[in-house]
Amino acid sequence: MNFDFTEDQHEIKRTARDLLAKRSTFEKVREHAEAGTYDGGLWKELAGLGWPGIAVAEEHGGQGLGVVELAILCEELGYACAATPFLGTATAALAIEAAGSDDQKAAWLPKLAAGEARGALGLAGQLIPDAAGADVVVVAEDGGLRLAGGGDVEAVDAIDPTRRHGKVAGGAGEPLGGDAAAALDRALVAVAAELVGVSQRALDMTVAYVKDRKQFETPVGAYQAVSHRCAQMLLHTEGARSATYFGAWAADAEPERLPEAAAIAKAAASEAGKEVTASAIQAHGGIGFTWEADVHWLYKRAQLDAQLLGGARTHRAAVARLLAGRLCPRPSWQECASTASCSSRCCCSPRR
Amino acid sequence: MDLTFNERETAFRDELRAWLAANDPGPRPEDADEDATFEWMRSWQRTMAADKWAGVHWPEEYGGRGATITESAIFFEELGRARRPLPANVLGIVMGGPTLMVWGTDEQKERFLPHILDASEHWCQGFSEPEAGSDLAALKTRAVKDGDDWVVTGQKVWTSGAQYAKWCMLVARTDMDAPKHKGLTYFLMDMEQEGVQVRPLRQITGSAEFNELFLEGARIPDANVIGGVGNGWKVALTTLMNERSGLAFFLQVRLRQLLDDVIEEAASRGLLDDPVVADKLADLHVKAEILRLTAYRGLTAIEKYGQPGPEGSLTKWLWSDTNQQLTSFAAELFGDWAYTAGNRWAYELMRARGNSIEGGTTEILKNIIAERVLGLPRLK
Repeated sequence: MNFDFTEDQHEIKRTARDLLAKRSTFEKVREHAEAGTYDGGLWKELAGLGWPGIAVAEEHGGQGLGVVELAILCEELGYACAATPFLGTATAALAIEAAGSDDQKAAWLPKLAAGEARGALGLAGQLIPDAAGADVVVVAEDGGLRLAGGGDVEAVDAIDPTRRHGKVAGGAGEPLGGDAAAALDRALVAVAAELVGVSQRALDMTVAYVKDRKQFETPVGAYQAVSHRCAQMLLHTEGARSATYFGAWAADAEPERLPEAAAIAKAAASEAGKEVTASAIQAHGGIGFTWEADVHWLYKRAQLDAQLLGGARTHRAAVARLLAGRLCPRPSWQECASTASCSSRCCCSPRR
Repeated sequence: MDLTFNERETAFRDELRAWLAANDPGPRPEDADEDATFEWMRSWQRTMAADKWAGVHWPEEYGGRGATITESAIFFEELGRARRPLPANVLGIVMGGPTLMVWGTDEQKERFLPHILDASEHWCQGFSEPEAGSDLAALKTRAVKDGDDWVVTGQKVWTSGAQYAKWCMLVARTDMDAPKHKGLTYFLMDMEQEGVQVRPLRQITGSAEFNELFLEGARIPDANVIGGVGNGWKVALTTLMNERSGLAFFLQVRLRQLLDDVIEEAASRGLLDDPVVADKLADLHVKAEILRLTAYRGLTAIEKYGQPGPEGSLTKWLWSDTNQQLTSFAAELFGDWAYTAGNRWAYELMRARGNSIEGGTTEILKNIIAERVLGLPRLK
């Protein structure tokens, strides 16, 4: 049992944090958000480092690492609230790798991994981050996936100006025939990881602010009404982090646990992201409500991420279906004994 | 990252599972019959001790198995999973013994440790007082030197199992002039004497898990000072740090089982088709999983870095919060049946109110998180 990153993974995290602290400051994020553009220079740099292809197999031009490493990058890019098409490109690549034909993989993975093509992934008819301007969009519809082109995207201005959003109508493009659920579950973990990063940044900014801001000659962070709010933000963030890291690990190591782990991660991270960023605005007081302060970028990013591929309620419904599916098929569970037909988590199995 | 148990941990778990399958203390006596319940748990501890399962995290020289912190967590998790009770002297095993191992003299270790594990001497904890709850260092119970003895006067409260205890981990003030954290001394007090009066404290559940202790001239030989005179605060912190080390996993599994039972009961009543019910149960499942995972993250932090990370202070809060939500929702879901005196869910509903108070109130935990994890200033 070791619930910690390897030294290499820690190194990826540190490198990403340091790089983005320099290259993706809030001044940069603001500049691109207000101009309605991505940070092309940053995107080029990240592509040069191989980030978009971190979880793409080496035979397709990627680095051949796993969802854990991808989640680390998503978390850090969320922390920076970076104005890049990373999430869409990386999750599109994940889905094509998990569910694409050989031809589809050959056509798209090398380009997405190299950052030469941009991708996006989302639900048909719903807002999809990074879709406007994307070369390829993986669209989930009725339990299956389709591969749509940039021409199928209708650009939409969403409340998160750090990204270019769009919608793709159902039925567009060609089918992506493989395991749609496995592809989407991996993408859920990536989005959850970004939400963890967004939450962590909102918490860090808030802690720094309430230590500094004085009222009644006292730092407001000394008041328990404020400090307990911060503690609650930490509880949300760390809970979402536990669930997300577990989901990332399951994606790589125990895929049979992924459906539940991914739903839990997305449910927890969606709720945490919205709660923590809302709390950050409140703890910043009046300044937090202004365009000038940077907390609103995080709040807006969290709203769209929380909604992407279904919100907390959607994923709790998935969890509820999994729970119901594990129940004993017999009408009276108290009377039944373990049988060969019972699943390992069924109440019929020896009491857990 | 590897969230599977290694070979040694798996072997430990499998051996324990086989043992738990073969050993059963039988049905739990009625809640109201505290004496019978205690005897049932004591006899269970003897069964465990006979096969060296009573104090797995204790070093082998003291009768344990030298289990790692992960194995210790596995132990409590499996105990809960098998729906077996804790050993009767859990305070002695989890808190008292480890404190003695750090601070006790060789004579003290030899005298006290063996009787903790074999259940021949029960232990209780005399820390809290009516005027010293969250502010433990404000305690007023006094110990005054008289020849080779200390003479103790004062009052303690929330003392679980005091009526069965031979020894009490007692913190008392020995220097009235020193600053409040400095004038304290940690003793082992013999409970079987005139100067110690035990009065049961009835809780909102109707049962009496706890007691009040009235100390009027109770005598403690100087040889029973632990860790030196005036060093009581540090020794007490060792005890408190051990409080939830492995127990967190027992509580986490108990919550899991309670939730499984609610889901099964709800299913048998056809309530799972109600989307509001399904949403709430799924939410509780998400929280229970986060609790389990966060507890494991805490273990890794301790194993790798020698100290708990921020997770450590979060699990108790998350557990009490979730358990309260769970029991409240269960009662609402099952209606009048669950509000009928003697019903299991009625008991759980009332017992859960204690969760956010016992072992550190949620308010104190939030203060600790704010100050020590987030580094926020303290209100002066």
